[in-house]
Amino acid sequence: MSASGRILADIRRARRPLRLLGASGQLGYGIPSPGFNAGLAWKPDLIGCDMGSIDIGPTYLGKGEMATSPEATRRDLRKVLRAARELDVPLVIGSAGSAGAGPHLDGTLAMLRDIAHADGLRFRMAAIRADLDRPMLLEALRDGRIVSFDGMPPLSEEEIVEASHIVGQMGNGVFRRALAADVDVVIAGRACDTGIFSALPMLLGFPTGLAVHMAKIIECASLCCVPGGRDPIMAELDDEGFVLESTNPERRATPTSVAAHSMYEQSDPFTVIEPDGMLDLSRAKYDAVDDRRTRVSGAEWRDTDSPTIKLEGARLIGERAVLLAGAADPRFIAQSKDILPKLSELVRDLVCEDQAQDYTLRWRVYGLDGVRMAVPPGEATPGEVFIMGECIAPTRERAAEVVRTCKQYLLHFGYPGRLSTAGNLAFPFTPPEVSLGPAYRFNVYHLLKVDDPDALFPMVIEEV
Amino acid sequence: MKLSDIAQVIRSKNAGPRRLTLDVMFASDADYQRVVQSPALGAAAIGRLYGVAPAEVIVIPYPAGRAIKIVMARRIMAGDPGDKDVYGAQQHAPLLGVEI
Repeated sequence: MSASGRILADIRRARRPLRLLGASGQLGYGIPSPGFNAGLAWKPDLIGCDMGSIDIGPTYLGKGEMATSPEATRRDLRKVLRAARELDVPLVIGSAGSAGAGPHLDGTLAMLRDIAHADGLRFRMAAIRADLDRPMLLEALRDGRIVSFDGMPPLSEEEIVEASHIVGQMGNGVFRRALAADVDVVIAGRACDTGIFSALPMLLGFPTGLAVHMAKIIECASLCCVPGGRDPIMAELDDEGFVLESTNPERRATPTSVAAHSMYEQSDPFTVIEPDGMLDLSRAKYDAVDDRRTRVSGAEWRDTDSPTIKLEGARLIGERAVLLAGAADPRFIAQSKDILPKLSELVRDLVCEDQAQDYTLRWRVYGLDGVRMAVPPGEATPGEVFIMGECIAPTRERAAEVVRTCKQYLLHFGYPGRLSTAGNLAFPFTPPEVSLGPAYRFNVYHLLKVDDPDALFPMVIEEV
Repeated sequence: MKLSDIAQVIRSKNAGPRRLTLDVMFASDADYQRVVQSPALGAAAIGRLYGVAPAEVIVIPYPAGRAIKIVMARRIMAGDPGDKDVYGAQQHAPLLGVEI
């Protein structure tokens, strides 16, 4: 029998609280070993890791690349895989490879097979794809089953066809199906982070509201503590609530810190929308067990009769190149908001002499307004600024041509009152132009109405 | 007194790629009560600070976390050309100097 089958049978035979170890909220950036080892000594029934997020932007999804380095990813995967096999408990990983599309999932699976081969590990692994079939999506669009939210414009057939990858966020039902198939390891493509930890307790009949609330907190490891951090976190769940404790003795899970975590990266601290329902936290209670542990209860689950899957897609928009430079001349800095548009025009006249403008060029002046959405009036002029020119063009060569031309003409741009006639820019190194490769944007961020939220995500079981 | 002198945490982050969420947290119930009752963090004031219409700003008091959550639409979707802050993690700065 494999690990999930054994745990399910054990707890069905002799019911007891369930122990879950949230090993990492971002697998591939390192798991602190002292905390991880403390978590293993506590004998968890499941080790779970989240591996991805939409926060990282569209390029990883579009390109099919991981955000984490291969070396660190392999080290983390090896750490959690070896531990799960030694304890013979399920290892569950969601949003494989940062963005959870086919190349990310395949890359993660290949690493796990390599590790198994090198370390002589054998296990039964469920892999679940999150990529969605384009003809199915086109049909759903025509049927009005793809809707916008958060102010996203309506989806078009062109965007579906042109996206490099389109994934759906699978929910906990998919993880339940995998764990019910008697496996040791579950690797999911793009997934709701809650499914990683809520599926096992739901299979065992623990209250869904508590299971999903717990899952939502521990998928971020010890971030719900003061001080927050990435050490693994332990959660013990019973039928009335769950107790949280960090594996790092310096991190305290307090009622306020845990309650506050419900706000993290959420637009509403009282509700969490999932494919098959809604978590209602309006009656959640947070009670101190001691100064390092908090017991949480009261979360309620509401099933929905109109399940939806959140879609994410990214589309290629060109090749990106940037120019990096500093400036310290107060007159240049004071006039930069006039100089840069004029420079852009000058460059356009040069590089578009015999063709239409086929690129975009944007300037960010760090020190003035490179970061903030709005700048209050009357701010003092800084002593130095950093200037970044960004070009997105149809080809790498074209983008490089534009930023190189910018470099030369901005360096020598004449403006009223100019004293520094030998050059306007300080380059930290040369060449100061960098080609960054293909650029993407999120072109799909919509909801797909479905009858069965689990049916879209095929599972393959493999004996490794 | 400035918000940065009272609050324990003042942070910003995306809530999905199209929305920005600002969290202000306090060390004591008294500090929370003082700020939650002040118009300085109302939708009108926040709209002025961030250059968005007050109707697009949602302010949610969250007593269990001794916190105030502010949600608004991003002007540019995360990672789109022209975005300045893909994670939205540095948009808290205008709140620091708010007078309470």
